[in-house]
Formats: sequence, C-alpha cells, structure tokens
Amino acid sequence: MSARRIVITSGKGGVGKTTTTANLGATLAKQGKRVILIDADIGLRNLDLVLGLEKRIVFDLVEVAEGRCQLRQALIKDKRFDSLAILPAAQTREKDAISPSQFASIVELAAETADYVLIDSPAGIETGFRNAVAGANEAIVVTTPEVSAIRDADRVIGKISAAGKPIRLIVNRLRPEMVRSGDMLSVEDVCDVLSVELLGIIPDDEEIIDTTNRGEPVVLGDGNRLGVIYQKIARRLEGELVPFTTFDNQSLLGRLMGALKTG
Amino acid sequence: MHQLQPNPSTSSGQAPSTSPEQAEAQASAATAKRGRAIVLTSGKGGVGKTTTAANLGTALARRGASVVLIDADVGLRNLDIVLGLESRVQHHLLDVLEERASIDDALVADKHSEKLFLLAAAQSREKDEVETAKMQALVSRLCERFDYVLIDSPAGIELGFKNAVAGADEAIVICTPEVAAVRDVDRVVGLLGNRFKPQLIINRLRPHLVRRGKMLSVDDVNGILRLPLLGVIADEPEIIVTTNRGEPLALQTHTATGAAYHAIAARVAGEDVPAPMPAAAKPSFAERLSAFFGGKRR
Repeated sequence: MSARRIVITSGKGGVGKTTTTANLGATLAKQGKRVILIDADIGLRNLDLVLGLEKRIVFDLVEVAEGRCQLRQALIKDKRFDSLAILPAAQTREKDAISPSQFASIVELAAETADYVLIDSPAGIETGFRNAVAGANEAIVVTTPEVSAIRDADRVIGKISAAGKPIRLIVNRLRPEMVRSGDMLSVEDVCDVLSVELLGIIPDDEEIIDTTNRGEPVVLGDGNRLGVIYQKIARRLEGELVPFTTFDNQSLLGRLMGALKTG
Repeated sequence: MHQLQPNPSTSSGQAPSTSPEQAEAQASAATAKRGRAIVLTSGKGGVGKTTTAANLGTALARRGASVVLIDADVGLRNLDIVLGLESRVQHHLLDVLEERASIDDALVADKHSEKLFLLAAAQSREKDEVETAKMQALVSRLCERFDYVLIDSPAGIELGFKNAVAGADEAIVICTPEVAAVRDVDRVVGLLGNRFKPQLIINRLRPHLVRRGKMLSVDDVNGILRLPLLGVIADEPEIIVTTNRGEPLALQTHTATGAAYHAIAARVAGEDVPAPMPAAAKPSFAERLSAFFGGKRR
C-alpha cells in the first residue's frame, strides 16, 4: 500500500511549516509509522537543522531528480527513530532546478516504502510551492492567528482546492491570554474565515525556539504539553475523533490580575 | 545564480525617457534630489520584513522625509493591512508597470503620516508577471520624487525576491535570533554581494530567553553575519496588536519599540546615534516569584 502524501504549506513564511513538519513526523514515527520528510525549500533548506541532521547530508533532492544518486542514498535516517528519514533540499541550487513532474515522481517513489510522506513547502506561491503541492494528494495549511497570515492562507487554500486536494488546518502560535484580552483572533475567528477542517491548535511556546535551535523536536522532550497536542493531531490524521484541547488555564499573573479586577 | 546587481538606472542618476511633461518634472527634480532605494529582505519568511517596512517608513516620514513603500509580494500582499490601508487600494504595482494606471493614481496616501505613500502589490496576479526592467525603471522614477523608496521583498529567493532587489541600490536584511533565520540571511547576503551594502536589523529578540541561554544573543547572530547593525527590536505582543489593527508601533514614540524604530530611522538617515537595543529586560514578576519559591520555571 502506498503512503499518504501530505504537503505542509502556508503562503506566509515563518508561521511554523518546518517546525510542524518535524514534530508531526517525529510524532508519527514514535507511533510506529514509517515516515519520510521531504524539504522542498531548495536554496533555503532548514528542515535538516530543526532535526539536527545538517552534518549528515551527503546527497540532496536535486541530485536524486538529476539521477546522480538513488533516493535511498539521499535519505538521512533520523538519530532517534529508525522509521523516520528526511530527504534534504539542495542549498546552492534554485527552485526551478526541479520540475513539478520530477518532484511528483520522487514523492511517488518515497511513498512506496513509507506510511507517510510529509512535504515541507517553501513560503510563497511561486515555483517551489507549486512543486511541493504537485507531489501531494492532501494538504495541511498552517496559519497563525494574524490577519496577514490568514489572508495568505486563504489564497493558498484557493489554489490547492482548485487542484481538488483535501485541506486541513493547523492554527499555530495561539496566545490564549491575548485572545482573552481581545488582542488576538480566536480559533473560531480563523476557522470562520478559512472554513476548512481544523486539524489542530498549537499554543505559542517559548520552548519551541530553543528546541528548534538545538535540533531536537519539542515533542521528544519529557513532559512538554506540545507532545500531547501533536499526538492528538497525529490521531486525527488517522481518522480518529479527538476533542480539542482548551487553553483556559490562566498564568499565575493572569489569575492574580483577574482576582484584583473582580475583587 | 548570478550575483545580483544594483539598479543601474538609479546608480547612474539617469532618468529613463518618459512623456514630455514628466521629463520636465524630472529634469527639475533630478537636480534637486535623488532618493535612496532600499530593499528589505531576509530569505526566511515571517521574520518581520513587512512590519519593519511599515515602521521604518512611518519613522522616516515623521522625520520629515518623503517616503514611498512598495509591496513587492505580488499575490500575497500584506503591507496594506499592516498600514491599515487595505480598503483604500485602487490600483497596484502591476497596473503601473503595465501602464493601466499612473503612479499618482496608484499611490495610496497613508492615514497617519503625511509624507508616506504605499504602492500596493497585485493580489490576484503572479510574481512572474513582473518585468525586471520595468520594475527598475519604476523605482528610478520614484527616486526622483521621494527621499526614500522602501521595497518590501517577498520571502524566499525566487523571482519575487529578484525583482524586489532589482530596483534597489541598498539592502536592509532582517533576521530573528534563530539558527534557521541566520542561515537564510547568510545565504541572501551571499546572493546580494557587496554592492548593496547590506545592513542588519535583528528582530524579535526576547532578552529573558537570551539571559537564560535559550536564545541566540545579538553577538551570536552578528558573530556569524558580521554586518553593520542598524538596531535590535524586542519581541513584543504590542507588535501583533498594532499590526492587526493597521497602526504601526512607530506612531507611538513613547513606547520602547516605537522609539527603537525612530533610532533606526535616524541611523538610516546617516545620524550618528547608537543602535537601539532592548533593555536587558528585568526579570518578570512571575520569574522573580518562581525564583523565590525555588527556581521552578513552568
């Protein structure tokens, strides 16, 4: 049976596509799935850094496309999970070094030996985005609760649904305390605008910055709440109905302030 | 990829040929002033290019300079939202490039700053519809009328980036203190070469994380990039709020971040003021409390 081929994209940059790809990939691998992550951001690759695998790169995506090596030679096995591997992007080439049909056939090949192929799309809607989408038969759109990110997500959703591929949404970097104070759009607001199926809500967590810099997906840390959230996302991907986490537990300071106001 | 070249027409100060009355206006303007065309770019997305463009433009206009902001992110425009001008956009960049609208028709006057104007990107078009030579010519013409032409580049290093850079003669690169952003900026600086004299703004620094060793410091970032530093902006929730509301934080000069943008503008203008740095933020109330009760952080 062939793998599910899912592109992770957003339009706007910096909303967390690469972090989401790495963490979702690690979570699925932890659950015993065979997972291949493909970095489609030719020229500005970063997925290798987020997984701490940058020193192990020998071959890359473009070299596979050009037939200079086999796919299995270019795949880098993760340090922590045997069933997780990445195909890195070329760093010194351009996005048009590979065509959508070449990209799609590499994804097809990867899909033969995996349960999930996750494609980390570059920002924007240019050639790199078109390549990344060409290889997928489903999409996860990542957005943050900001007007500009939502506008870009809406544009990308239009483009992908025109290609007839199912789309699910992850709302990333939610700050519940800002939603409560009316300074940030709520998940409901975001879903109203985009009206696609919600796959997950991920709170803004400072630990992400540090784990990403260290090349350790945050879900692998002990006791981090994001681990549980990614597990739920993975289960929803598998078709399970899993209730969404609510974030109404206030911070100490928030509770103090609330007590002062009401008291 | 070939190394990118600064705009030849603005560098030489020669105006491209246009209609007689425009030529006349140019002849008088060209001698009077020559604006600076500066591209804001980063490689990585979401590091704050658009926010920086809006705030730097606002701060420069507050200093009395005439400023035009060009949104070069065709298909994914956002600068209009950040300035709160989205409902006032009538014509866009491609209308001007394809001569369906004049520059004056397309420029949107800012709500808050008298000398600030926006040239919006087309939303339903593609980046490969922009002709590089026409973009260069447009930036040259704008340089005759404005003191500053700030070009907000799209993320990435594809055609949209190349067109944004094509018209510029200087570059400001924006980087966040993250390994991935530093790597992307380093790549962009390589692509730009030396001729754009790239200067650096470090954005979204969280001093308390740097103190705890959980975030790269200014020295870590610039130890790798080694660029002239214009300034450092702290990560403040206010930025999200003001961006959603369409009111750049630089309008609030009494805030630390607003003041930092004004210091950056002064440095861009050539004033010898120190690069703004976020205060070595004092421990928060919660941090002090938790330190008091035994150092548990979460």
